[in-house]
Amino acid sequence: MGVNLAVKIGKIEMKNPVTVASGTFGFGKEIADFYDLSHLGAITVKGTSLHPWLGNEYPRTVETPSGMLNAIGLQNDGVDSFISDKLPFLRQYDVPVIVNVVGHTVEEYAEVATRLDGVEGVAGIEINISCPNVKSCMVFGATPESTAEVVRAVRRRTNLTLITKLSPNTGDITAVARAAIDAGSDALSLINTLLGTAINPWTRTFSLANVTGGLSGPAIKPVALRMVYEVAQVVDVPIIGMGGIMNGLDAVEFMLAGANAVAVGTANFVNPRAAIEVIDGIAQYLEATGFEDVNDIVGKVRRE
Amino acid sequence: MKGVYECEILAQSEIGPNVVRTLLKSSEIARQAQPGQFVNVKITSTTDPLLRRPFSIHATYPDEGVYSLLYVLRGKGTALLRKARPGDKISVVGPLGKPFDLGDSSEAEHVVVAGGCGAAPLHFLCDALCRKWGCKQVTVLAGAQSKDAVLCEAEFKSYEVNVRVSTDDGSYGYQGYVTDLLDAYLAERYSMSSQSGNSPLIRVYSCGPHEMLKEVARISRKYKVSSCQVSLENVMACGIGVCMGCVQKIKDSGHGDDSAECFHYERVCTEGPVFEAENVVWE
Repeated sequence: MGVNLAVKIGKIEMKNPVTVASGTFGFGKEIADFYDLSHLGAITVKGTSLHPWLGNEYPRTVETPSGMLNAIGLQNDGVDSFISDKLPFLRQYDVPVIVNVVGHTVEEYAEVATRLDGVEGVAGIEINISCPNVKSCMVFGATPESTAEVVRAVRRRTNLTLITKLSPNTGDITAVARAAIDAGSDALSLINTLLGTAINPWTRTFSLANVTGGLSGPAIKPVALRMVYEVAQVVDVPIIGMGGIMNGLDAVEFMLAGANAVAVGTANFVNPRAAIEVIDGIAQYLEATGFEDVNDIVGKVRRE
Repeated sequence: MKGVYECEILAQSEIGPNVVRTLLKSSEIARQAQPGQFVNVKITSTTDPLLRRPFSIHATYPDEGVYSLLYVLRGKGTALLRKARPGDKISVVGPLGKPFDLGDSSEAEHVVVAGGCGAAPLHFLCDALCRKWGCKQVTVLAGAQSKDAVLCEAEFKSYEVNVRVSTDDGSYGYQGYVTDLLDAYLAERYSMSSQSGNSPLIRVYSCGPHEMLKEVARISRKYKVSSCQVSLENVMACGIGVCMGCVQKIKDSGHGDDSAECFHYERVCTEGPVFEAENVVWE
Protein backbone atom coordinates (compact mmCIF):
# COMPACT_ATOMS: atom_id res chain seq x y z
CA MET A 1 0.00 0.00 0.00
CA GLY A 2 0.93 3.58 -0.44
CA VAL A 3 3.20 3.33 -3.48
CA ASN A 4 3.11 6.29 -5.85
CA LEU A 5 2.10 5.35 -9.37
CA ALA A 6 1.58 8.85 -10.76
CA VAL A 7 3.74 10.02 -13.65
CA LYS A 8 3.87 13.09 -15.86
CA ILE A 9 4.25 13.12 -19.64
CA GLY A 10 4.71 16.73 -20.73
CA LYS A 11 1.77 18.56 -19.14
CA ILE A 12 -0.29 15.36 -18.88
CA GLU A 13 -0.76 14.15 -15.31
CA MET A 14 -1.30 10.39 -15.31
CA LYS A 15 -2.51 8.69 -12.13
CA ASN A 16 -0.50 5.64 -13.15
CA PRO A 17 2.00 4.98 -15.93
CA VAL A 18 -0.36 2.95 -18.12
CA THR A 19 -2.07 4.10 -21.31
CA VAL A 20 -3.23 2.07 -24.28
CA ALA A 21 -1.70 1.85 -27.73
CA SER A 22 -3.58 3.73 -30.43
CA GLY A 23 -5.64 1.43 -32.62
CA THR A 24 -6.09 -1.24 -29.97
CA PHE A 25 -8.76 0.54 -27.96
CA GLY A 26 -11.03 2.21 -30.50
CA PHE A 27 -12.39 5.36 -28.86
CA GLY A 28 -12.92 3.69 -25.51
CA LYS A 29 -16.59 2.83 -25.77
CA GLU A 30 -16.24 -0.92 -26.26
CA ILE A 31 -13.71 -1.42 -23.45
CA ALA A 32 -15.88 0.70 -21.14
CA ASP A 33 -18.18 -2.33 -21.07
CA PHE A 34 -15.43 -4.25 -19.25
CA TYR A 35 -14.15 -1.75 -16.66
CA ASP A 36 -14.24 1.87 -15.51
CA LEU A 37 -11.96 3.79 -17.88
CA SER A 38 -11.10 6.24 -15.08
CA HIS A 39 -8.69 3.62 -13.73
CA LEU A 40 -6.32 4.15 -16.67
CA GLY A 41 -3.39 6.56 -16.61
CA ALA A 42 -4.46 7.89 -20.02
CA ILE A 43 -6.39 6.80 -23.08
CA THR A 44 -4.78 7.04 -26.51
CA VAL A 45 -7.49 6.83 -29.14
CA LYS A 46 -7.47 5.46 -32.68
CA GLY A 47 -5.60 7.39 -35.38
CA THR A 48 -7.60 10.44 -36.39
CA SER A 49 -7.30 12.23 -39.74
CA LEU A 50 -8.62 15.48 -41.18
CA HIS A 51 -11.21 13.76 -43.39
CA PRO A 52 -12.75 10.29 -42.94
CA TRP A 53 -10.54 7.42 -44.08
CA LEU A 54 -12.13 4.23 -45.41
CA GLY A 55 -9.31 1.88 -44.45
CA ASN A 56 -7.86 -1.08 -46.32
CA GLU A 57 -9.56 -4.06 -47.96
CA TYR A 58 -10.31 -7.19 -45.93
CA PRO A 59 -8.49 -9.39 -44.80
CA ARG A 60 -6.82 -6.93 -42.49
CA THR A 61 -5.38 -9.15 -39.77
CA VAL A 62 -3.57 -12.45 -39.50
CA GLU A 63 -2.17 -14.23 -36.48
CA THR A 64 1.54 -15.07 -36.42
CA PRO A 65 3.64 -16.92 -33.80
CA SER A 66 3.12 -15.00 -30.52
CA GLY A 67 1.90 -12.01 -32.46
CA MET A 68 -0.22 -10.71 -35.27
CA LEU A 69 -0.02 -8.59 -38.39
CA ASN A 70 -2.54 -5.85 -39.05
CA ALA A 71 -3.18 -3.67 -42.06
CA ILE A 72 -6.27 -1.75 -41.00
CA GLY A 73 -5.26 1.37 -42.86
CA LEU A 74 -6.32 3.85 -40.17
CA GLN A 75 -10.07 3.60 -40.84
CA ASN A 76 -11.63 6.52 -38.96
CA ASP A 77 -14.42 9.08 -39.33
CA GLY A 78 -12.20 12.16 -39.17
CA VAL A 79 -11.41 14.76 -36.52
CA ASP A 80 -14.74 16.62 -36.62
CA SER A 81 -16.64 13.40 -35.98
CA PHE A 82 -14.18 12.56 -33.21
CA ILE A 83 -14.87 15.85 -31.45
CA SER A 84 -18.67 15.75 -31.86
CA ASP A 85 -19.40 11.99 -31.62
CA LYS A 86 -16.58 10.23 -29.74
CA LEU A 87 -15.11 12.75 -27.31
CA PRO A 88 -18.29 13.50 -25.28
CA PHE A 89 -18.39 9.88 -24.17
CA LEU A 90 -14.77 10.00 -22.99
CA ARG A 91 -15.34 13.25 -21.09
CA GLN A 92 -17.46 11.32 -18.59
CA TYR A 93 -14.31 9.67 -17.30
CA ASP A 94 -11.60 11.11 -15.11
CA VAL A 95 -8.79 10.24 -17.52
CA PRO A 96 -6.59 12.28 -19.89
CA VAL A 97 -7.28 11.65 -23.58
CA ILE A 98 -4.41 11.61 -26.06
CA VAL A 99 -5.43 11.86 -29.71
CA ASN A 100 -3.33 9.97 -32.24
CA VAL A 101 -3.09 12.19 -35.32
CA VAL A 102 -2.44 11.00 -38.88
CA GLY A 103 -2.27 12.70 -42.25
CA HIS A 104 -1.39 12.34 -45.90
CA THR A 105 0.40 15.68 -45.93
CA VAL A 106 2.18 17.90 -43.41
CA GLU A 107 -0.69 20.38 -43.66
CA GLU A 108 -3.24 17.68 -42.82
CA TYR A 109 -1.41 16.86 -39.57
CA ALA A 110 -1.24 20.55 -38.73
CA GLU A 111 -4.92 21.13 -39.50
CA VAL A 112 -6.04 18.22 -37.27
CA ALA A 113 -3.90 19.67 -34.47
CA THR A 114 -5.49 23.08 -34.99
CA ARG A 115 -8.97 21.61 -34.64
CA LEU A 116 -8.02 19.72 -31.47
CA ASP A 117 -6.30 22.69 -29.84
CA GLY A 118 -8.32 24.05 -26.95
CA VAL A 119 -11.02 21.37 -27.18
CA GLU A 120 -12.18 20.39 -23.70
CA GLY A 121 -11.16 16.85 -22.84
CA VAL A 122 -8.15 16.63 -25.16
CA ALA A 123 -4.97 16.39 -23.10
CA GLY A 124 -2.39 15.76 -25.77
CA ILE A 125 -1.55 14.77 -29.32
CA GLU A 126 0.39 11.73 -30.39
CA ILE A 127 1.86 12.43 -33.83
CA ASN A 128 1.66 9.18 -35.76
CA ILE A 129 4.44 9.20 -38.33
CA SER A 130 4.95 5.49 -38.08
CA CYS A 131 1.88 3.56 -39.27
CA PRO A 132 3.29 1.05 -41.77
CA ASN A 133 -0.07 0.58 -43.50
CA VAL A 134 -0.47 4.06 -44.89
CA LYS A 135 2.41 4.98 -47.14
CA SER A 136 2.56 8.70 -46.46
CA CYS A 137 2.44 8.06 -42.75
CA MET A 138 5.45 5.78 -42.52
CA VAL A 139 7.43 7.88 -44.98
CA PHE A 140 7.27 10.84 -42.59
CA GLY A 141 8.75 8.80 -39.76
CA ALA A 142 11.46 7.19 -41.80
CA THR A 143 13.95 10.06 -41.71
CA PRO A 144 14.90 12.76 -39.18
CA GLU A 145 14.21 15.52 -41.75
CA SER A 146 10.64 14.56 -42.60
CA THR A 147 9.90 13.83 -38.93
CA ALA A 148 11.05 17.31 -37.98
CA GLU A 149 8.93 18.86 -40.72
CA VAL A 150 5.70 17.27 -39.41
CA VAL A 151 6.45 17.94 -35.74
CA ARG A 152 7.38 21.57 -36.41
CA ALA A 153 4.16 22.17 -38.34
CA VAL A 154 2.03 20.66 -35.58
CA ARG A 155 3.96 22.52 -32.86
CA ARG A 156 3.16 25.85 -34.48
CA ARG A 157 -0.58 25.18 -34.21
CA THR A 158 -0.98 23.96 -30.63
CA ASN A 159 0.27 24.19 -27.08
CA LEU A 160 -1.04 20.73 -26.27
CA THR A 161 1.50 18.19 -25.11
CA LEU A 162 3.03 16.63 -28.23
CA ILE A 163 4.15 13.04 -28.22
CA THR A 164 5.85 11.78 -31.39
CA LYS A 165 5.32 8.08 -32.05
CA LEU A 166 8.44 6.58 -33.55
CA SER A 167 8.70 3.85 -36.15
CA PRO A 168 11.04 0.90 -35.74
CA ASN A 169 11.17 0.77 -39.54
CA THR A 170 14.04 3.25 -39.82
CA GLY A 171 17.80 3.19 -39.98
CA ASP A 172 18.64 4.97 -36.74
CA ILE A 173 15.75 5.49 -34.36
CA THR A 174 17.82 7.71 -32.06
CA ALA A 175 18.41 10.21 -34.89
CA VAL A 176 14.66 10.38 -35.57
CA ALA A 177 14.03 10.77 -31.82
CA ARG A 178 16.40 13.71 -31.56
CA ALA A 179 14.90 15.36 -34.63
CA ALA A 180 11.40 15.11 -33.14
CA ILE A 181 12.52 16.73 -29.89
CA ASP A 182 14.45 19.50 -31.63
CA ALA A 183 11.31 20.28 -33.65
CA GLY A 184 9.29 20.73 -30.46
CA SER A 185 8.01 17.33 -29.38
CA ASP A 186 7.46 17.18 -25.60
CA ALA A 187 7.70 13.41 -25.39
CA LEU A 188 8.20 10.27 -27.45
CA SER A 189 6.30 7.02 -27.76
CA LEU A 190 7.78 3.84 -29.21
CA ILE A 191 7.54 1.53 -30.93
CA ASN A 192 4.93 1.32 -33.64
CA THR A 193 4.54 -2.02 -35.41
CA LEU A 194 7.28 -3.71 -37.42
CA LEU A 195 6.63 -4.09 -41.13
CA GLY A 196 6.04 -7.72 -42.09
CA THR A 197 3.98 -10.09 -44.18
CA ALA A 198 2.44 -13.56 -44.10
CA ILE A 199 1.82 -16.07 -46.87
CA ASN A 200 -0.67 -18.93 -47.09
CA PRO A 201 1.27 -21.77 -48.74
CA TRP A 202 -1.89 -23.69 -49.73
CA THR A 203 -3.57 -20.87 -51.61
CA ARG A 204 -0.20 -19.34 -52.58
CA THR A 205 -1.52 -15.90 -51.66
CA PHE A 206 -0.61 -13.21 -49.18
CA SER A 207 -2.66 -13.42 -45.99
CA LEU A 208 -3.41 -9.68 -45.99
CA ALA A 209 -5.20 -7.82 -48.79
CA ASN A 210 -2.65 -5.03 -48.30
CA VAL A 211 0.20 -7.60 -48.73
CA THR A 212 2.21 -6.09 -45.85
CA GLY A 213 1.13 -5.24 -42.33
CA GLY A 214 2.44 -4.23 -38.94
CA LEU A 215 3.67 -6.91 -36.54
CA SER A 216 2.67 -6.54 -32.90
CA GLY A 217 2.34 -8.65 -29.78
CA PRO A 218 4.83 -10.49 -27.56
CA ALA A 219 6.91 -11.41 -30.63
CA ILE A 220 8.19 -7.82 -30.92
CA LYS A 221 8.89 -7.13 -27.25
CA PRO A 222 12.66 -7.70 -27.36
CA VAL A 223 13.01 -5.32 -30.31
CA ALA A 224 10.84 -2.68 -28.64
CA LEU A 225 12.71 -2.96 -25.36
CA ARG A 226 16.06 -2.52 -27.09
CA MET A 227 14.82 0.56 -28.95
CA VAL A 228 13.37 2.17 -25.80
CA TYR A 229 16.69 1.58 -24.07
CA GLU A 230 18.69 3.08 -26.94
CA VAL A 231 16.47 6.15 -27.23
CA ALA A 232 16.45 6.67 -23.45
CA GLN A 233 20.24 6.92 -23.52
CA VAL A 234 20.20 9.94 -25.81
CA VAL A 235 17.08 11.98 -24.95
CA ASP A 236 15.84 13.67 -21.80
CA VAL A 237 12.11 13.95 -22.57
CA PRO A 238 9.56 11.47 -21.23
CA ILE A 239 9.16 8.19 -23.13
CA ILE A 240 6.04 6.03 -23.43
CA GLY A 241 7.28 2.51 -24.10
CA MET A 242 5.28 -0.14 -25.89
CA GLY A 243 5.56 -3.33 -27.89
CA GLY A 244 4.17 -6.66 -26.74
CA ILE A 245 3.37 -5.72 -23.14
CA MET A 246 1.07 -8.46 -21.78
CA ASN A 247 1.44 -8.04 -18.01
CA GLY A 248 2.87 -5.93 -15.21
CA LEU A 249 6.36 -7.40 -15.38
CA ASP A 250 6.60 -6.69 -19.12
CA ALA A 251 5.70 -3.08 -18.30
CA VAL A 252 8.32 -2.94 -15.53
CA GLU A 253 10.97 -4.08 -18.01
CA PHE A 254 10.13 -1.15 -20.29
CA MET A 255 10.35 1.27 -17.38
CA LEU A 256 13.68 -0.17 -16.28
CA ALA A 257 14.87 0.35 -19.87
CA GLY A 258 13.98 4.03 -19.59
CA ALA A 259 10.25 4.44 -20.29
CA ASN A 260 8.38 6.85 -17.99
CA ALA A 261 5.06 5.31 -18.96
CA VAL A 262 3.88 2.34 -21.01
CA ALA A 263 1.12 1.52 -23.46
CA VAL A 264 -0.77 -1.76 -23.61
CA GLY A 265 -1.65 -2.67 -27.18
CA THR A 266 -2.31 -6.08 -28.68
CA ALA A 267 -2.95 -7.45 -25.18
CA ASN A 268 -6.28 -5.57 -25.25
CA PHE A 269 -7.39 -7.92 -28.03
CA VAL A 270 -6.49 -11.01 -26.03
CA ASN A 271 -7.81 -9.79 -22.70
CA PRO A 272 -10.11 -6.75 -22.63
CA ARG A 273 -9.01 -6.16 -19.01
CA ALA A 274 -5.28 -6.32 -19.83
CA ALA A 275 -4.46 -2.67 -19.11
CA ILE A 276 -6.03 -2.84 -15.64
CA GLU A 277 -4.09 -6.01 -14.88
CA VAL A 278 -0.87 -4.31 -16.01
CA ILE A 279 -1.51 -1.45 -13.56
CA ASP A 280 -2.07 -3.92 -10.72
CA GLY A 281 1.02 -5.87 -11.76
CA ILE A 282 3.24 -2.78 -11.63
CA ALA A 283 1.93 -1.90 -8.16
CA GLN A 284 2.59 -5.45 -6.96
CA TYR A 285 6.13 -5.30 -8.32
CA LEU A 286 6.82 -2.05 -6.48
CA GLU A 287 5.51 -3.46 -3.23
CA ALA A 288 7.47 -6.68 -3.63
CA THR A 289 10.72 -4.83 -4.35
CA GLY A 290 10.31 -2.01 -1.84
CA PHE A 291 10.12 0.91 -4.28
CA GLU A 292 7.76 3.62 -3.05
CA ASP A 293 7.53 5.57 -6.31
CA VAL A 294 7.19 4.14 -9.80
CA ASN A 295 9.36 6.97 -11.14
CA ASP A 296 12.25 5.50 -9.15
CA ILE A 297 12.51 2.45 -11.42
CA VAL A 298 12.73 4.43 -14.67
CA GLY A 299 16.01 3.66 -16.41
CA LYS A 300 17.27 1.58 -13.49
CA VAL A 301 18.46 -1.39 -15.52
CA ARG A 302 22.14 -2.14 -14.88
CA ARG A 303 24.86 -3.96 -16.75
CA GLU A 304 26.45 -6.68 -14.71
CA MET B 1 -20.63 -4.69 -17.72
CA LYS B 2 -19.39 -7.39 -20.03
CA GLY B 3 -17.33 -10.13 -18.55
CA VAL B 4 -14.31 -12.31 -19.05
CA TYR B 5 -15.40 -15.66 -17.66
CA GLU B 6 -13.46 -18.76 -16.65
CA CYS B 7 -15.69 -21.51 -18.03
CA GLU B 8 -15.36 -25.13 -17.01
CA ILE B 9 -15.54 -27.64 -19.84
CA LEU B 10 -18.15 -30.24 -18.90
CA ALA B 11 -17.88 -32.54 -21.91
CA GLN B 12 -16.60 -32.75 -25.46
CA SER B 13 -17.73 -35.24 -28.07
CA GLU B 14 -17.35 -35.73 -31.80
CA ILE B 15 -20.77 -35.56 -33.39
CA GLY B 16 -19.56 -35.87 -36.96
CA PRO B 17 -16.35 -36.20 -38.92
CA ASN B 18 -14.05 -33.51 -37.46
CA VAL B 19 -17.03 -31.84 -35.77
CA VAL B 20 -16.95 -31.44 -32.02
CA ARG B 21 -19.61 -30.37 -29.56
CA THR B 22 -18.39 -28.78 -26.32
CA LEU B 23 -20.50 -28.19 -23.23
CA LEU B 24 -19.35 -25.33 -21.01
CA LYS B 25 -20.48 -23.97 -17.69
CA SER B 26 -21.35 -20.30 -17.20
CA SER B 27 -24.64 -19.15 -15.80
CA GLU B 28 -23.98 -15.60 -17.07
CA ILE B 29 -23.40 -16.61 -20.68
CA ALA B 30 -26.20 -19.19 -20.65
CA ARG B 31 -28.62 -16.60 -19.33
CA GLN B 32 -27.60 -13.63 -21.50
CA ALA B 33 -26.89 -15.24 -24.88
CA GLN B 34 -29.23 -14.70 -27.81
CA PRO B 35 -29.23 -16.68 -31.06
CA GLY B 36 -26.60 -15.47 -33.53
CA GLN B 37 -24.25 -14.23 -30.83
CA PHE B 38 -20.80 -15.69 -30.30
CA VAL B 39 -18.19 -16.17 -27.60
CA ASN B 40 -14.46 -15.48 -27.93
CA VAL B 41 -12.36 -18.24 -26.43
CA LYS B 42 -8.72 -18.15 -25.23
CA ILE B 43 -7.82 -21.73 -25.86
CA THR B 44 -4.50 -21.82 -24.02
CA SER B 45 -2.86 -19.42 -21.60
CA THR B 46 0.27 -19.32 -23.77
CA THR B 47 1.11 -16.69 -26.40
CA ASP B 48 0.87 -19.13 -29.32
CA PRO B 49 -1.88 -19.14 -30.40
CA LEU B 50 -2.10 -15.59 -29.11
CA LEU B 51 -5.58 -14.47 -30.09
CA ARG B 52 -8.95 -15.74 -28.97
CA ARG B 53 -11.09 -17.80 -31.32
CA PRO B 54 -14.72 -16.87 -31.98
CA PHE B 55 -17.35 -19.62 -31.81
CA SER B 56 -21.06 -19.15 -32.36
CA ILE B 57 -23.30 -20.34 -29.57
CA HIS B 58 -25.01 -23.60 -30.48
CA ALA B 59 -27.37 -24.00 -27.52
CA THR B 60 -28.04 -22.60 -24.08
CA TYR B 61 -29.54 -24.22 -20.99
CA PRO B 62 -30.16 -21.22 -18.73
CA ASP B 63 -31.64 -23.29 -15.88
CA GLU B 64 -28.51 -25.43 -15.69
CA GLY B 65 -26.12 -22.54 -16.41
CA VAL B 66 -24.69 -24.43 -19.37
CA TYR B 67 -24.11 -23.59 -23.03
CA SER B 68 -22.61 -25.43 -25.95
CA LEU B 69 -20.41 -24.75 -28.95
CA LEU B 70 -20.10 -26.71 -32.16
CA TYR B 71 -16.89 -26.47 -34.14
CA VAL B 72 -15.03 -28.03 -37.04
CA LEU B 73 -11.44 -29.12 -36.42
CA ARG B 74 -9.74 -26.76 -38.81
CA GLY B 75 -6.45 -25.36 -37.48
CA LYS B 76 -4.15 -24.98 -34.52
CA GLY B 77 -6.75 -23.40 -32.23
CA THR B 78 -9.50 -25.95 -32.71
CA ALA B 79 -7.01 -28.86 -32.44
CA LEU B 80 -5.88 -27.54 -29.05
CA LEU B 81 -9.45 -27.00 -27.90
CA ARG B 82 -10.26 -30.61 -28.81
CA LYS B 83 -7.51 -31.72 -26.39
CA ALA B 84 -9.16 -29.97 -23.43
CA ARG B 85 -10.57 -32.36 -20.83
CA PRO B 86 -13.70 -32.16 -18.71
CA GLY B 87 -12.84 -30.08 -15.66
CA ASP B 88 -10.41 -27.84 -17.57
CA LYS B 89 -11.21 -24.14 -17.46
CA ILE B 90 -10.91 -21.78 -20.40
CA SER B 91 -11.23 -18.01 -20.57
CA VAL B 92 -14.31 -16.88 -22.47
CA VAL B 93 -15.47 -13.36 -23.42
CA GLY B 94 -19.11 -13.05 -24.33
CA PRO B 95 -21.79 -13.20 -25.38
CA LEU B 96 -20.76 -10.86 -28.21
CA GLY B 97 -22.25 -9.46 -31.40
CA LYS B 98 -25.69 -8.62 -32.68
CA PRO B 99 -28.21 -11.48 -32.59
CA PHE B 100 -30.77 -12.54 -35.20
CA ASP B 101 -33.93 -10.45 -35.32
CA LEU B 102 -36.84 -12.87 -34.87
CA GLY B 103 -39.40 -10.45 -36.25
CA ASP B 104 -42.60 -9.18 -34.72
CA SER B 105 -45.35 -10.83 -36.72
CA SER B 106 -47.05 -14.05 -35.68
CA GLU B 107 -48.05 -14.51 -39.34
CA ALA B 108 -44.47 -14.87 -40.56
CA GLU B 109 -42.97 -18.12 -41.81
CA HIS B 110 -39.34 -18.63 -40.82
CA VAL B 111 -36.95 -20.43 -43.17
CA VAL B 112 -33.61 -21.41 -41.68
CA VAL B 113 -30.89 -22.28 -44.21
CA ALA B 114 -27.85 -24.11 -42.81
CA GLY B 115 -24.70 -24.95 -44.75
CA GLY B 116 -22.28 -27.39 -43.11
CA CYS B 117 -21.08 -26.10 -39.75
CA GLY B 118 -23.31 -23.07 -40.24
CA ALA B 119 -25.88 -25.21 -38.47
CA ALA B 120 -24.23 -24.30 -35.14
CA PRO B 121 -25.89 -20.91 -34.46
CA LEU B 122 -29.03 -21.91 -36.38
CA HIS B 123 -29.80 -24.65 -33.89
CA PHE B 124 -30.00 -22.02 -31.15
CA LEU B 125 -32.05 -19.81 -33.49
CA CYS B 126 -34.45 -22.64 -34.28
CA ASP B 127 -35.02 -23.19 -30.57
CA ALA B 128 -35.79 -19.49 -30.05
CA LEU B 129 -38.09 -19.29 -33.10
CA CYS B 130 -40.05 -22.31 -31.85
CA ARG B 131 -40.46 -20.77 -28.41
CA LYS B 132 -41.48 -17.40 -29.78
CA TRP B 133 -43.63 -18.29 -32.78
CA GLY B 134 -44.27 -22.04 -32.57
CA CYS B 135 -42.44 -24.81 -34.42
CA LYS B 136 -45.12 -25.03 -37.12
CA GLN B 137 -43.97 -21.67 -38.43
CA VAL B 138 -40.38 -22.87 -38.89
CA THR B 139 -38.72 -24.73 -41.78
CA VAL B 140 -35.10 -25.86 -41.67
CA LEU B 141 -33.14 -26.50 -44.85
CA ALA B 142 -29.83 -28.19 -44.02
CA GLY B 143 -27.09 -28.83 -46.54
CA ALA B 144 -23.79 -30.67 -46.29
CA GLN B 145 -21.21 -32.27 -48.54
CA SER B 146 -22.27 -35.82 -47.68
CA LYS B 147 -24.50 -37.79 -45.33
CA ASP B 148 -22.08 -38.03 -42.40
CA ALA B 149 -21.47 -34.26 -42.50
CA VAL B 150 -25.14 -33.33 -41.98
CA LEU B 151 -25.21 -31.61 -38.59
CA CYS B 152 -27.94 -31.31 -36.00
CA GLU B 153 -30.57 -33.09 -38.09
CA ALA B 154 -31.85 -35.12 -35.15
CA GLU B 155 -31.93 -31.99 -32.99
CA PHE B 156 -33.84 -30.03 -35.61
CA LYS B 157 -36.27 -32.93 -35.96
CA SER B 158 -36.76 -33.14 -32.21
CA TYR B 159 -38.57 -29.85 -32.58
CA GLU B 160 -41.64 -30.28 -34.70
CA VAL B 161 -40.18 -28.19 -37.48
CA ASN B 162 -40.24 -29.06 -41.15
CA VAL B 163 -36.73 -30.30 -42.02
CA ARG B 164 -35.33 -30.86 -45.52
CA VAL B 165 -31.79 -32.08 -46.14
CA SER B 166 -29.51 -31.85 -49.16
CA THR B 167 -26.10 -33.34 -49.80
CA ASP B 168 -23.69 -32.34 -52.54
CA ASP B 169 -22.96 -35.99 -53.40
CA GLY B 170 -26.52 -37.23 -53.02
CA SER B 171 -25.63 -39.69 -50.28
CA TYR B 172 -28.60 -38.43 -48.25
CA GLY B 173 -31.69 -36.37 -48.99
CA TYR B 174 -31.87 -34.18 -52.07
CA GLN B 175 -28.78 -34.30 -54.29
CA GLY B 176 -27.54 -30.76 -54.81
CA TYR B 177 -27.08 -27.56 -52.90
CA VAL B 178 -29.20 -26.36 -50.02
CA THR B 179 -29.79 -23.18 -52.02
CA ASP B 180 -31.69 -25.32 -54.58
CA LEU B 181 -33.97 -26.38 -51.71
CA LEU B 182 -34.48 -22.74 -50.76
CA ASP B 183 -35.31 -21.76 -54.33
CA ALA B 184 -37.80 -24.63 -54.66
CA TYR B 185 -39.37 -23.91 -51.28
CA LEU B 186 -39.87 -20.22 -52.00
CA ALA B 187 -41.17 -20.96 -55.53
CA GLU B 188 -43.75 -23.31 -54.05
CA ARG B 189 -44.84 -20.90 -51.30
CA TYR B 190 -45.18 -17.93 -53.61
CA SER B 191 -47.03 -19.90 -56.30
CA MET B 192 -49.48 -21.16 -53.67
CA SER B 193 -50.01 -17.62 -52.47
CA SER B 194 -50.55 -16.20 -55.94
CA GLN B 195 -53.44 -18.68 -56.26
CA SER B 196 -54.95 -17.72 -52.91
CA GLY B 197 -54.16 -14.02 -53.29
CA ASN B 198 -52.41 -13.71 -49.91
CA SER B 199 -48.73 -12.94 -50.17
CA PRO B 200 -46.83 -14.91 -47.52
CA LEU B 201 -44.60 -13.11 -45.04
CA ILE B 202 -41.33 -15.06 -45.21
CA ARG B 203 -38.21 -14.49 -43.17
CA VAL B 204 -34.97 -16.23 -44.15
CA TYR B 205 -32.03 -16.82 -41.77
CA SER B 206 -28.76 -18.35 -42.92
CA CYS B 207 -25.25 -19.31 -41.90
CA GLY B 208 -22.67 -21.20 -43.94
CA PRO B 209 -19.91 -20.72 -46.51
CA HIS B 210 -19.63 -17.27 -48.10
CA GLU B 211 -20.60 -18.45 -51.60
CA MET B 212 -23.70 -20.13 -50.22
CA LEU B 213 -24.76 -17.00 -48.31
CA LYS B 214 -24.32 -14.96 -51.46
CA GLU B 215 -26.68 -17.34 -53.27
CA VAL B 216 -29.17 -17.30 -50.37
CA ALA B 217 -29.15 -13.51 -50.62
CA ARG B 218 -29.72 -13.61 -54.39
CA ILE B 219 -32.62 -16.07 -54.15
CA SER B 220 -34.21 -14.19 -51.27
CA ARG B 221 -34.10 -10.98 -53.26
CA LYS B 222 -35.57 -12.74 -56.30
CA TYR B 223 -38.67 -13.68 -54.29
CA LYS B 224 -38.69 -10.39 -52.34
CA VAL B 225 -38.85 -12.12 -48.97
CA SER B 226 -39.53 -9.68 -46.14
CA SER B 227 -36.19 -10.28 -44.46
CA CYS B 228 -33.05 -12.29 -45.17
CA GLN B 229 -30.46 -12.31 -42.41
CA VAL B 230 -27.04 -13.87 -42.84
CA SER B 231 -24.41 -14.61 -40.20
CA LEU B 232 -20.87 -13.88 -41.44
CA GLU B 233 -17.63 -15.46 -40.27
CA ASN B 234 -14.84 -12.98 -41.06
CA VAL B 235 -11.48 -13.45 -39.36
CA MET B 236 -11.37 -11.52 -36.10
CA ALA B 237 -8.48 -10.29 -34.01
CA CYS B 238 -10.21 -8.76 -30.96
CA GLY B 239 -13.86 -9.79 -31.29
CA ILE B 240 -14.97 -6.79 -29.21
CA GLY B 241 -14.95 -3.99 -31.76
CA VAL B 242 -11.67 -2.22 -31.11
CA CYS B 243 -9.28 -3.47 -33.81
CA MET B 244 -11.39 -2.85 -36.96
CA GLY B 245 -10.01 -6.06 -38.47
CA CYS B 246 -13.10 -8.17 -39.24
CA VAL B 247 -14.84 -5.62 -41.42
CA GLN B 248 -17.47 -6.24 -44.09
CA LYS B 249 -18.41 -3.86 -46.91
CA ILE B 250 -21.94 -2.57 -46.29
CA LYS B 251 -23.90 -0.47 -48.77
CA ASP B 252 -24.45 3.13 -47.76
CA SER B 253 -28.10 3.80 -47.03
CA GLY B 254 -29.98 5.08 -50.02
CA HIS B 255 -28.04 2.75 -52.32
CA GLY B 256 -30.22 -0.37 -52.20
CA ASP B 257 -29.38 -1.27 -55.79
CA ASP B 258 -26.53 -3.52 -56.76
CA SER B 259 -24.01 -0.79 -57.42
CA ALA B 260 -21.35 -1.40 -54.82
CA GLU B 261 -19.92 2.04 -55.42
CA CYS B 262 -21.04 3.58 -52.16
CA PHE B 263 -20.12 1.46 -49.20
CA HIS B 264 -18.58 1.67 -45.77
CA TYR B 265 -17.00 -0.93 -43.55
CA GLU B 266 -18.83 -2.39 -40.56
CA ARG B 267 -17.38 -4.69 -37.92
CA VAL B 268 -18.61 -8.28 -38.13
CA CYS B 269 -17.93 -8.68 -34.38
CA THR B 270 -20.00 -5.68 -33.32
CA GLU B 271 -22.47 -4.49 -36.00
CA GLY B 272 -22.67 -8.21 -37.00
CA PRO B 273 -22.16 -11.11 -37.22
CA VAL B 274 -25.80 -11.02 -38.37
CA PHE B 275 -26.50 -8.63 -41.25
CA GLU B 276 -29.50 -8.02 -43.49
CA ALA B 277 -28.34 -9.66 -46.72
CA GLU B 278 -29.55 -6.81 -48.90
CA ASN B 279 -27.19 -4.39 -47.14
CA VAL B 280 -24.10 -6.52 -47.73
CA VAL B 281 -21.80 -5.81 -50.68
CA TRP B 282 -21.44 -9.35 -52.03
CA GLU B 283 -18.05 -9.95 -53.65
